[in-house]
Amino acid sequence: MTTVSTPATAPRPRKSPLAYLVRFQSLLGLVIVIIAGIVFSPRRHGHILFLQTDNIANIIRSISETGILALGMTFVIIAAGIDLSVGAVLGLCSVLTAQLLVNEGWGLWSTLPLVIVVGVLFGAVQGAISTKARIQAFIVTLAGLQAARGLSLIVSNNSFININYGQGPGSAPPAFAVLGERIGGVFPVATLVFLVLAAVSAFVLNNTRYGRYVFAVGGNEKAARLSGIPVNAVKISVYALTGFVSAIAGIVHAGQFAFGSPNDGTGYELNAIAAVVIGGTDLFGGAGSMVGTIAGAVMLGALANILQLNDISAAMQLLATGAIIVAAAALQTLVVSRGTR
Amino acid sequence: MTAPLLQVNGVQKRYGGVHALKGVDFDLAAGEVHVLLGENGAGKSTLMGVLSGAVSPDEGSVALDGRPVRFASPRDAHAAGIAMIPQELDLVPGLDIAANLFLGSEITHAGVLAHGTMRQRAQALLKSAGVALNASLPVASLRMGERQLVAIAKALSAQARILIMDEPTAALSAVEADHLFTVVRDLAARGVGIVYISHRLEEVGRIGDRVTVMRDGLVVGTAGPDAPQAALVRMLVGRPFSDLFPPRAGTLGAPILRLDHARFEPRHPRPGWQAPQDVSLIVHAGEIVGLTGLMGVGRTELLSALHGFGANGRWHGTVEVRGKPASLGTIAAARRAGIAYVTDDRRGTGLVLNHTVAQNAVMSTLRRVTPFGLVSRALERREVATALDTYDIRPRLPDAKVVNLSGGNQQKVVFAKELMNGPGLLLLDEPTRGVDVGAKAEIYRRLRALAGSGLGVLVASSELPELIGLCDRIVVMQAGRTVHEFGAGPAEDEVRRVSEGEVAAA
Repeated sequence: MTTVSTPATAPRPRKSPLAYLVRFQSLLGLVIVIIAGIVFSPRRHGHILFLQTDNIANIIRSISETGILALGMTFVIIAAGIDLSVGAVLGLCSVLTAQLLVNEGWGLWSTLPLVIVVGVLFGAVQGAISTKARIQAFIVTLAGLQAARGLSLIVSNNSFININYGQGPGSAPPAFAVLGERIGGVFPVATLVFLVLAAVSAFVLNNTRYGRYVFAVGGNEKAARLSGIPVNAVKISVYALTGFVSAIAGIVHAGQFAFGSPNDGTGYELNAIAAVVIGGTDLFGGAGSMVGTIAGAVMLGALANILQLNDISAAMQLLATGAIIVAAAALQTLVVSRGTR
Repeated sequence: MTAPLLQVNGVQKRYGGVHALKGVDFDLAAGEVHVLLGENGAGKSTLMGVLSGAVSPDEGSVALDGRPVRFASPRDAHAAGIAMIPQELDLVPGLDIAANLFLGSEITHAGVLAHGTMRQRAQALLKSAGVALNASLPVASLRMGERQLVAIAKALSAQARILIMDEPTAALSAVEADHLFTVVRDLAARGVGIVYISHRLEEVGRIGDRVTVMRDGLVVGTAGPDAPQAALVRMLVGRPFSDLFPPRAGTLGAPILRLDHARFEPRHPRPGWQAPQDVSLIVHAGEIVGLTGLMGVGRTELLSALHGFGANGRWHGTVEVRGKPASLGTIAAARRAGIAYVTDDRRGTGLVLNHTVAQNAVMSTLRRVTPFGLVSRALERREVATALDTYDIRPRLPDAKVVNLSGGNQQKVVFAKELMNGPGLLLLDEPTRGVDVGAKAEIYRRLRALAGSGLGVLVASSELPELIGLCDRIVVMQAGRTVHEFGAGPAEDEVRRVSEGEVAAA
């Protein structure tokens, strides 16, 4: 037995300062990145370029899609799962949107619901396969990634679909262009979609029974089952959720860039997972925070932006991102190992 | 008389304000199995640390063959021929047995691993430890008992003359434990001195030549292998055995659970899973009913079939809950019927260790604190406060992580979680397994109090003295059938005879 004799009055478990550091690591990291951005930003005519309205709008626009994916990914990872298919499902939904609007002449009100249903079903099927056949989610969603890419090639007939706006065949409804616009010429509509979804996700995770179920299932599946929680349904539902956010992100992608390509969203799953991990969510499940994920996503976007402003190569951006992920994980490990001693 | 193999004199050790060893004497002869008993915190682990070189004593001496020794590290102790087999075996599951035996002292030819030589020597080592296993088997493929034997062979590979075993049977089945005992006796016969740390009183007579009991950092006494259990308990906890059990309740309520010639049909039958075949029993409100029988007669399976965890299927025959026919066989059905199950495996299936006391306490009653699916913090706080008070969970901090609580308090959280649902029947499987005697008494008291509050309790256990002391009635099972029922306080021999298949005296 490794138990050490404990004095009669058990010591009050105090939260170590490190634990707080992890809890707010992404917010803290965000503040540091922003300060670094201001310090290292190139200046023109005495203006700090990093803080220019246009630049900030660019940052928040650039993170809208991976941010949306990361929201769903947070649910999956808290439930002790992983979803590698989100980037590919984004691509599938993006080409499907373009194909239906442009080449099939569907309207918005029939296209968007169908695309969303496709995304949700794709996720739910992956969740069901993983849960019922007891195959690791990593494997199932890796296969799902391939399958979704294959489907996008079929849907698009292996071609790039340009979205032209206008009336009649071969054009998409002009209303769809709104996703690429900026409110008041400043605030990107795509970011608005992200913010609304982020608020809903944070509420669901923290304030609903469903959110508690997700935490419990990820924390200890057997204990959750024994407590009467519908474990299988919860596990399938989180993959349906990533499917849902992937569909939304795919629609936003098509709208922002006015095209659909079978290669859309390649590698986005890794950025989404990075945002979640930097946000302090435990890859083993059972613990995590939506606010952390949001901050993590913004932080990654701001970081990339600073490096771009300073004309630092893409290679350096990748290296910096990698270093930050490792630092975030190391910080968590440090706290976890302290906590259990 | 020659000096004993090992002699410990007046050893003291302090950790800050904690006086872990207060002057301990202990000795071990060659060829002897010396059982060391003690509750958690009695000082066993510290004493073993001193012997194996991991702890250096503040005062006192250790002598090998009459010559004083001082170990600066476990490596010193190892070199002197003392090997320790920790409870968590230090084997690498992914490697084969041979590789494990030579881990850290691999045999190489010109820097290349000599697999053949190591395998041959490993096979010889296994043979000398009386283990019939192929050295090229991966450790991951072995059962717990076999791994334990490999760990012994590994200790012997270092020419150990003294072997320290820390609760080696904790994770073993009865058959595996028997085999382990044979190997241990065989080693002793060849002159190895063995210190055998245990929680289990019944092992003393089966394996030990002598038993030493520790309490609060002191040796309370040493006795022969035939010392009665009651005497050992008195030494362990400082009070008589019968005091462990609370007085029985007086009045019985209405029947909560009634099975009459009931049979369970699992949806996916598994070999080795003894489905209930023909079960008749009644549990009334306010009483504790015990379930006994030999290994594999289906005690655990009967409980599973009632609470639905690890069993999925249909009952046939009469199954009534509170006088009404009930369809049990899934977790959801059991919950609806008001049947709660307290698992003995609190880490594996009872709790989310990384979550807070509050999160765990409301886990099975989330519905109550989430009207319309939305979390009500006020309801949640009230629920958790009730749990903390009712089950006396310490420290009284809702936001403390469960992993930081003591084992006893973790168990209280499991009780709270299950009982917050207000069930009518409580099922327990081996509720005191691996728990020391003082904590057992606490569990008995709590179960009696729950029964007193109107709950029916059904307890399966392999420890007969426990069931006899605790239960109002004891039901004996054989091969999935209930075969006999005893009233309160039957003779242990009688229950044992019926369990082993003899017809009960009328």
